[in-house]
Amino acid sequence: MSSFLAALLTYPFLSMALLAGGLSAIAGGIIGAYVVTKRIAFISGSISHSVLAGVGLSIFLARCYNITILSPLMGALIVGILSAFLAGWIYLSCRERQDSALAAIWSVGMALGILFLAKSPGFSVELSNFLIGNILWVQRSDLALLALLDGIILITVFFLHQRFAAICFDETQATLQGIRVKSLYFLLLTLIAITTVILMQVVGIILVLTALTLPSATAGLFTKTLSGMMWLGVLIGLACMFFGLFLAYTWNFPVGATIALTAGCAYGIALGMKSKRIGKRGI
Amino acid sequence: MNPSIDVKNVTFGYRERDPVIIDASFQIMPSQLVAIIGPNGGGKTTLLKLLMGFLEPWQGTISIFRKRPTRYPNGIAYVPQMTSFDRQFPMTVFDLVLTGRLFNLPWWGQYRKQDREKAMSALEEVHLEEFAKKPFSSLSGGQLQRALIARALVSEPKIILLDEPLAHLDATAENELVELLGHIRKKKTILMVTHNIQSILSSVEHILCVQGRVDVMTKEQICEHFALGLYHYPLIDAPHEHRLAEGEKK
Repeated sequence: MSSFLAALLTYPFLSMALLAGGLSAIAGGIIGAYVVTKRIAFISGSISHSVLAGVGLSIFLARCYNITILSPLMGALIVGILSAFLAGWIYLSCRERQDSALAAIWSVGMALGILFLAKSPGFSVELSNFLIGNILWVQRSDLALLALLDGIILITVFFLHQRFAAICFDETQATLQGIRVKSLYFLLLTLIAITTVILMQVVGIILVLTALTLPSATAGLFTKTLSGMMWLGVLIGLACMFFGLFLAYTWNFPVGATIALTAGCAYGIALGMKSKRIGKRGI
Repeated sequence: MNPSIDVKNVTFGYRERDPVIIDASFQIMPSQLVAIIGPNGGGKTTLLKLLMGFLEPWQGTISIFRKRPTRYPNGIAYVPQMTSFDRQFPMTVFDLVLTGRLFNLPWWGQYRKQDREKAMSALEEVHLEEFAKKPFSSLSGGQLQRALIARALVSEPKIILLDEPLAHLDATAENELVELLGHIRKKKTILMVTHNIQSILSSVEHILCVQGRVDVMTKEQICEHFALGLYHYPLIDAPHEHRLAEGEKK
């Protein structure tokens, strides 16, 4: 551990990676609580995987036409928000067979991304980085964008938390109370898209769902309020980021996968502790 | 006196040429407790959705205190079936009741002191004040129904719709709930879907029998129906006087 702490102080890329991990844990812990309690992990999965289309388009435009205005992060953000609106529209208007339509967003988005990357000249090292994540590549500009997105999430949730909680728990009641359920739902999905882009930097597109849901699901086992679930989820996320980075540094493992595995282990241990506690009470 | 609910010639269905509610007309006056009965798939929940303004009738009109119910908040509170939401949702009983004050939430998104006080008063009214800080997942079926009624009360509605509140309750919880509803009806109009008409029969004024058509019956007429063993069948296609006469012949 001491060598890892020394390395954090010595190598700027490592401290920047930890900072990026911390910023993503904040977003993941807060938005993940809504994803877990509203049980929309599949919708979130389709949004998160479709962002590959944006990443692919950005690289394709840069390499084929020298258009660099659209960075991979911005491309992912735009496609993520578009997918969020599409997924929201599917959820609200076609109650039947919506899983098939969401699967279509999931797979078509990924297919478009792979197609763009295949048609981009040169070696596509970015593909694996975006798919499985490489937090060690984070630049200062990325950190600034991650901090901005975190700020947007925190401010939005501060003002709208009670309304978001209401639509997560009981849409019918929220409608009767005059809450604009559809608008809020689209906004929530947009925040999920933003969080996805933040987390993509750390764990990659394939593992985004893990980082989005597991810290919150773990926290949910020990808290009785949604806000408690959020803050504990953030703390668990921060711990997973730190230990994941430490383990990856120590054993030379891929960082994103190690962080996701750490989150998985934390969830497994928490489930075990919870069931033991329930067993002791004899329930 | 103006009716709380005025339904005139309402027909509605989810698919073309397949109406679920056919030419329904009835009025419900303030402070009445009305039960809604009928078989599964008969249109009871659809009727509630029409009254709440979630569905638009194909034809006919619905007035809630002389206004269309599609503008929210519309003075209606809804107590859903216990199975219709996530019982593991992380929320205290107090926070659950507080969601009944959402309509009064200011732009900065934090409940005001008076909203919190009203939520606590509603909990006291249903005798659940000692459970305020407990997670709502820890409540029994009867306690949960009372908490949901507290949430309905705190929104200060004129009408409360309840969807099968007596389902899955034991006899004690059922009696407590019926007693509570009897107390609330002094101030509110109550419509209640139930399959357990015997438990509520002494408290209700009318019973809406919903099976495509909506027949308004008194409790005496319903008792006759039960006595003749004609619970759902006779509601299908004949006026109830005729059906009763048929039943007597048999």
